[in-house]
Amino acid sequence: MALSLIPPLTDGPISYQAIYQPAQTGSFHNNNMAALCRGRHRWKRTNCLHVLTRNLSGIYDYDLVVIGGGSGGLACSKEAARLGQKAAVLDYVEPSVKGTKWGLGGTCVNVGCIPKKLMHQAALLGTAVKDARKYGWQISGPICHDWATMAEAIQNHVRSLNWGHRVQLQDKKVKYLNVKGSLVDEHTVRGLTKAGKEMILTAKNIVIATGGRPNYPIGIPGAKEHGITSDDIFWLKKEMVLSSTRRGSDVALECAGFLTGIGLDTTVMVRSIALRGFDQQMAGLITDYMATYGTKFLWKSVPKSVDKLSSGALQVTWTDTRTGDEHKDTYDSVLWAVGRAPETKALGLDQLGVRLKKETGKILLGSDESTSVPNIFAFGDIGEGRPELTPTAVKAGKLLARRLAGLSAELMNYDNVPTTVFTPLEYACVGLSEEDAEERHGKDGIEVYHAFYKPLEFIVAERDASQCYLKVVCARGGEQKILGLHFTGPNAGEVAQGFAMGFQCGATYSHLLQTVGIHPTCAEEVVKVNITKRSGLDPAVTGC
Amino acid sequence: MAILRQLARSPATSCLREQLFWSPRRHAALTRRAMASADPQTTRLDFLVIGGGSGGLAGARRASELGASAAVIESHRLGGTCRANHVPSQVMWNAAVHAEYLHDHSDYGFEVESVRFSWEALKAKRDAYISHLNRIYRNNLDKAKVQNIQGHARFTNDPEPTVEVDGRKYTAPHILIATGGQPTVLSDADIPGGNLGITSDGFFELETLPKRTVIVGAGYIAVEMAGILSTLGSKTSMIIRQSGVLRNFDSFLSTNCTKELQNSGVDLWKNSQVTSVRKTEKGLEVTVVTKDQEKKNDEEKTSTIQEVDCLLWAIGRQPNTSGLNVAAMGLEMDERGHIVVDEFQNTSRPGIYAVGDVCGKALLTPVAIAAGRKLAHRLFEDKNDSKLDYSCIPTVVFSHPPIGTVGLTEEEAIRSRGKENVKVYKTSFTPMYHAITSRKSQCIMKLVCEGKEEKVVGLHMQGLGCDEMLQGFAVAIKMGATKADFDKTVAIHPTSSEEFVTMR
Repeated sequence: MALSLIPPLTDGPISYQAIYQPAQTGSFHNNNMAALCRGRHRWKRTNCLHVLTRNLSGIYDYDLVVIGGGSGGLACSKEAARLGQKAAVLDYVEPSVKGTKWGLGGTCVNVGCIPKKLMHQAALLGTAVKDARKYGWQISGPICHDWATMAEAIQNHVRSLNWGHRVQLQDKKVKYLNVKGSLVDEHTVRGLTKAGKEMILTAKNIVIATGGRPNYPIGIPGAKEHGITSDDIFWLKKEMVLSSTRRGSDVALECAGFLTGIGLDTTVMVRSIALRGFDQQMAGLITDYMATYGTKFLWKSVPKSVDKLSSGALQVTWTDTRTGDEHKDTYDSVLWAVGRAPETKALGLDQLGVRLKKETGKILLGSDESTSVPNIFAFGDIGEGRPELTPTAVKAGKLLARRLAGLSAELMNYDNVPTTVFTPLEYACVGLSEEDAEERHGKDGIEVYHAFYKPLEFIVAERDASQCYLKVVCARGGEQKILGLHFTGPNAGEVAQGFAMGFQCGATYSHLLQTVGIHPTCAEEVVKVNITKRSGLDPAVTGC
Repeated sequence: MAILRQLARSPATSCLREQLFWSPRRHAALTRRAMASADPQTTRLDFLVIGGGSGGLAGARRASELGASAAVIESHRLGGTCRANHVPSQVMWNAAVHAEYLHDHSDYGFEVESVRFSWEALKAKRDAYISHLNRIYRNNLDKAKVQNIQGHARFTNDPEPTVEVDGRKYTAPHILIATGGQPTVLSDADIPGGNLGITSDGFFELETLPKRTVIVGAGYIAVEMAGILSTLGSKTSMIIRQSGVLRNFDSFLSTNCTKELQNSGVDLWKNSQVTSVRKTEKGLEVTVVTKDQEKKNDEEKTSTIQEVDCLLWAIGRQPNTSGLNVAAMGLEMDERGHIVVDEFQNTSRPGIYAVGDVCGKALLTPVAIAAGRKLAHRLFEDKNDSKLDYSCIPTVVFSHPPIGTVGLTEEEAIRSRGKENVKVYKTSFTPMYHAITSRKSQCIMKLVCEGKEEKVVGLHMQGLGCDEMLQGFAVAIKMGATKADFDKTVAIHPTSSEEFVTMR
């Protein structure tokens, strides 16, 4: 879509709801079996019943009302409309603590995947300029980066996507309402406009896809007043100099990565480990690479307070948990990336008796996305144990729409979900981490093939490739079925998609061996890998 | 390992193997003669490899790992064409990719002042890397205990297949020819002034970036060279005989790649042929005749391109067999001089095998490597069915943007399975990288599916990142993936490759 065609949207908060954030792969929890069976049974019963009642009386305004216009909600409502259902989607953006607001499309489009990857791309170009010199490009003068130029270009693109989503809803005959939705009963939704006007919608089925929002830490004076979150960073008009992000989650590392990449002095404070839930060997490589790339890390540290000095700088006080010592330093910005919380508060779930997981506040779901209340469904980031990822939400939303339309019984398969982290050295994986594989199959039950490889593009650029690594975790013996595949390097996400498909088809180590490599690429290293960890041999790749 | 070696050497097993091609009587007679004439001066090995390119090296190393005594004969430097062309080509391609990035920098907020490209700096870097690779190859050979014999190999007329290098004789029960190929050179007899041009080998020796380049040919080498030179700032013309490049690729790719070349500023001469080349004071003068074959009434048009400082022939490759005296072995050859092999890389003479470009099939480094290794496993590990499956070999062309392709083209699928059994899915989009750049380039993707179950038999794409996307899909397609398997796979967001699993 060409940017020039896109009219700017109105200024007001237009919409909200969220889907995003790279997963805690390997941390999916299966809901209990009873809930699962109950859910499926109920689906059959209620579905048939209501097709009947509606046909006889047409008592509801809509077949389907979706609360939340993020990736999942949009996909679900559009699919329903495509299948001939009368569908509406309610979306409303509650401004962030810092007052940042945005348009239709949820976290992914506005404050997640899309702006994140574009800023990551900007950072890669920063590295590319340095490489270009080694490739014979003679660039005179210093290279400066202007945050405002980048931010404006990215924000314009995001606005074009907001607009595109509205056009699509219109084309597909989905009713779009910029109202804040809450539940009245299992067939009724109350909508509240920005101006405070109320409306009532009735629907055969209600789907909650309101996603989540970033957390602020509790009990740290100054955290909320002086800190921002990922909801704000992409919409800053002015650059932040010297920033500090907190906790080693994927969001933290991705933000710290692109901030470092465009030349900002960035520090990440990590309480315990980076990238919890991911393979820890890979996590180590990613943070090692970032450290050589220029990102500073404060390991095993817990923030205590944030104070604004008269100069405008923020003074952060923290404790090093290894020594118990207290430290202070000043930063221009503090970004909290301490997890995300589901957006359930305003929905009125408790009155209806929709069961939540106490610890996380997320909705307990059956494998058919049913809640504990008939006719109310939920999916995406708001669902307990669901991966916080756009593609799973999109897929789950579509499948749910098909089931609710009575056209399919296919359930979403939450296994084999591939994911990628856009850190300066990209990481992608599918399947189990080595730790999880070892736990499930035992140390003697797995065979890990691995390789440290050198991307050709790094060699002329004289870049350190010591973290470019891949490993294929296989079941030991027999066909050596692949249990997990991990890859760090340029274009990791693009490399991994095809392998994720092979994985989905049940690929074994010998399938990799049987496939001819593509030379010279990084991806070929995956089909060339032949050194096992068990052998203790040097896994460094040499030659063609 | 010792047992394996014993087995491989024992006459019983080798006899069994050779019975497939020879009558036992003749074999026995020959063996006797060979024994009788055994020359004490002849060095005996288990595995003798002629040619130190990727295929030969891989075969020799693997054989040695399996316990065979192996040697590689190479007259030039180790690494072959891959070292000499593919790797430097990818290095040059990367340099050109940087040129494209530099265009996009301002869109991403970078202020970059004047930029100039230094060919000399890049060439120095590249050559240093290539010699580094050479050292690696040599070290790898040493590590694998493979003997490296420097010099030209020539088959002798001894009754037992024997190779002579610098007056010394070598023999082995298994001899592998992996001498590769070289670019076809035009002589003055073919086209007056033809030898004033260079080939891809010469391209990598250029000391400076040519100001004005003419490339003749429409194959992948021509496309890659044109992309590199043009992007680095050489005014580049491409002379092609028909209306598009990459004519043996899926027409979706062929058409798109032709369009991309033109968009990137390559001056494309369709339906054209070079008739003569002349040297003038200001450089070469290339005479070109243009005639659209489909428009019968059109006159032939003759034009000249002036002041050319680099004329590059990229009109194909031919096998390297000269000086090898293959005639002495009586090997079967095809009309273009390639050594004919069966699916197990056997030539028409038992005990002599060939892999790689010299066979003329799938001229790709990994193919040669895989074939060399498979052969080693068959010969020295008694894996009798070890062979390379030549179907579904993924290929990347480092065009701008890159192309990835595996399996059948739509045309091939329709030809072999019938139009009614072939279903095609296509998509094209602007990759997110270009969302905020003024320079735009599309990514196009196509799946060719066959039968009711929609088995994916071909996958074709061109766009940013396609070079790295292909490998994993190649694994899945080799496993027999269907369209439904693509649909079942969860996308990785936001990437370009996810479009393959969300296609409708």
